Amino acid sequence: MNNIFIIDDDPITVFGIKKMLKTTVACENISTFRNGKLAMDQLRQDIENNIAPPEVIFLDINMPIMDGWEFLEEFLKLRIDDKIIINVITSSIDPSDYHKWNQFRLKCFHYLNFKNKPIFKIESTDLSRINLAS
Amino acid sequence: MFTLKSAQTDLNSSILHQLPLATALVDSSFNLVDASATWHQLFKTNVNVNNPDKIYTYFENHDGCSPQLLEQYLIGNDIRTIRHSITKDENTQWLESTFAPWMDENKNVQGTIIQTIDIGRQIQKDIELEQIKELFQATTEINHIGSWEYNIETEKLYWCKMTKEIHEVPESYEPNVSEAIQFYKQGYSRNKISMLFHNILQEGTSFNERLQIITHKGEERWVAAGGKSIKKNGKTVKIFGTFQDINQQVITEKRTKESERLLTTLIDNLPINVFIKDKDSRKILVNKAECDYLNLSPNELIGKTDFDLYDDKVAKTSRDEDLEVMRSLKPMLGEETINVRRDGSVTHFLTSKIPLLDLEGKAYGLIGMSMDITTLKQKEEQLRNLINVTAIQNKKLINFAHIVSHNLRSHSANFSMLLDFLIKEKEPKEKERILGMLSSASDNLLDTLENLNEVVDISTNVNLDKKSLSLIDSIERVGQNLSAFLEKNKVEVVNTIDESLRVMSVPAYLESIILNLMTNSVKYRHPLRTPKITLAATKQENGVTLSVTDNGLGIDLERYGDKIFGMYKTFHNNKDARGLGLYIIKNQIEAMDGYIAVESSVNKGSVFKVFFNEENE
Repeated sequence: MNNIFIIDDDPITVFGIKKMLKTTVACENISTFRNGKLAMDQLRQDIENNIAPPEVIFLDINMPIMDGWEFLEEFLKLRIDDKIIINVITSSIDPSDYHKWNQFRLKCFHYLNFKNKPIFKIESTDLSRINLAS
Repeated sequence: MFTLKSAQTDLNSSILHQLPLATALVDSSFNLVDASATWHQLFKTNVNVNNPDKIYTYFENHDGCSPQLLEQYLIGNDIRTIRHSITKDENTQWLESTFAPWMDENKNVQGTIIQTIDIGRQIQKDIELEQIKELFQATTEINHIGSWEYNIETEKLYWCKMTKEIHEVPESYEPNVSEAIQFYKQGYSRNKISMLFHNILQEGTSFNERLQIITHKGEERWVAAGGKSIKKNGKTVKIFGTFQDINQQVITEKRTKESERLLTTLIDNLPINVFIKDKDSRKILVNKAECDYLNLSPNELIGKTDFDLYDDKVAKTSRDEDLEVMRSLKPMLGEETINVRRDGSVTHFLTSKIPLLDLEGKAYGLIGMSMDITTLKQKEEQLRNLINVTAIQNKKLINFAHIVSHNLRSHSANFSMLLDFLIKEKEPKEKERILGMLSSASDNLLDTLENLNEVVDISTNVNLDKKSLSLIDSIERVGQNLSAFLEKNKVEVVNTIDESLRVMSVPAYLESIILNLMTNSVKYRHPLRTPKITLAATKQENGVTLSVTDNGLGIDLERYGDKIFGMYKTFHNNKDARGLGLYIIKNQIEAMDGYIAVESSVNKGSVFKVFFNEENE
């Protein structure tokens, strides 16, 4: 694994994900962003510079400036040929959030997971779909 | 003896011939024996006694005297009279013949003596009189009209049969004036008739009066008593009059009047407007409620159409309804209608219109009934508003509940995760790090709870706590509290608010609103400009609008418009942003029945306008 994005404004969650990833997968680059806009700026810059997009994204929903849904909306417009695994992470138990996620999942070219906080473990499906397919 | 007898017979015969009264002798074989010259004159025949003709011959062609009847009379043993007539050349001769038995010395019946007189026109008049009497009798019986007569000289009072019947006295009853007056009911009736009778006696004044009598059998009865005097040489000699039983009539009239009054009382006191209109929608009857509603008397209303009373649009609608009801003959029931009076006041009615049909089933007008439901309508409107308010508040509450649950959950999730790490962690250094994280998670939770408390504290029922506050005093107080902050950021504050301007607000809310808007202006200032805040206020009809203008970053309202006042919404990369300030002041201003609005453009600045409502609901 080369590249993972964590987009979340809560430092504790970021710490937790990082810590769990360390024990699960070997990854050289783990980038963190405090909101969707910062991540989106990075992605656009990477595409311009022909740098490969991340293979996995951990995405919080409630963030300032650009929240998780707005990020997804923008992300789907980007021209990315590889299928990327996006883990939507939220503490919300509002059914409308799950519904929204499902709508994105259906129209999304990439893999979309829904993870409710608290998270204790990174599942293999959060990182790879090849195993599942085989 | 025979000669004597013959002489006697001759003598008799001679006397007979000369009798002034037409007389004839008929033997028991119904032959005419002899007759007086006058008899022959009457019957216009010359009788040859030697060839005695049958008596029938003389009565031939006589009306009222058939041969059978004649025979009966001829053989009878008593005296009988018949009337008969003979018509010749269109002249009618009226005769009256009396038949008596003809006896000899020994009282043996020899035959019959007939005496006939010309009764001429008398008979005709008798008949006519008889007919008139019968007619009169019939009339009086049918109309219950009796008559009376009083002879002043003899002081005799005469009552006809009908008059007696009305008094329920036997036919043999002989009335007198004093008793007659006693029949009248004591009180008004008796006093009145006494006076009237006195007047007619003294002055000959005629009268006709409805009075009550108590009949002989004790029944109360209405009568019409009339009187007229006959004068001779200026002196009243006779009084006569009529006496009619009008009991049924009076009772019927009374009943009709009573039911009419009942109906009028009912219609007048119904708490709904009742009116009757003719074919041209002119009012022909209105009740009290309708008069009161239009503030006009019945006389002013009768004959008016809706065009005279309401504005044209309302009148046109009403007239169309009238026409439809009268055309279709189907009643219009319980329709909601709106009336606008000439003065512009609006009334809601529940109106029914029922066609009035004549005997041929054609509508000649309609009955209308309108119930004023204006208050009901207002209540309904209030209720609807209340439901709307409740729905909005309910939505807010649900939204708030989600926010609370989300925020609390995110902290508790962090606790769970960190504790899980801590349990599994062996390395003391890493353990210490996790503990530090836990402590900051705990601080975050406390902060969140404080924020939520602030929101919950905004009561929605604050009208009682609203006070009239000087706007400029409040702004100065906030300015003092913020003085260090404003100085540090080199903020220019321009205040154009009139010193006398006062707003209705909860004191703490007013300061919170000013504080939040001013600090926001500084927090989101433009990095290349000196921050400038302009405060202005304008008095409005039922409140004051405060505007806070800055030259800061501005907000992309097209993108964030609906979220700017939302909870935990932040739009800038600012460490101080809690996403709570605008949410709280929006709730505060709305709790006071005011509102907040924003105008903004990116990189130019923002204007927040706050409306303080002066009315207490």
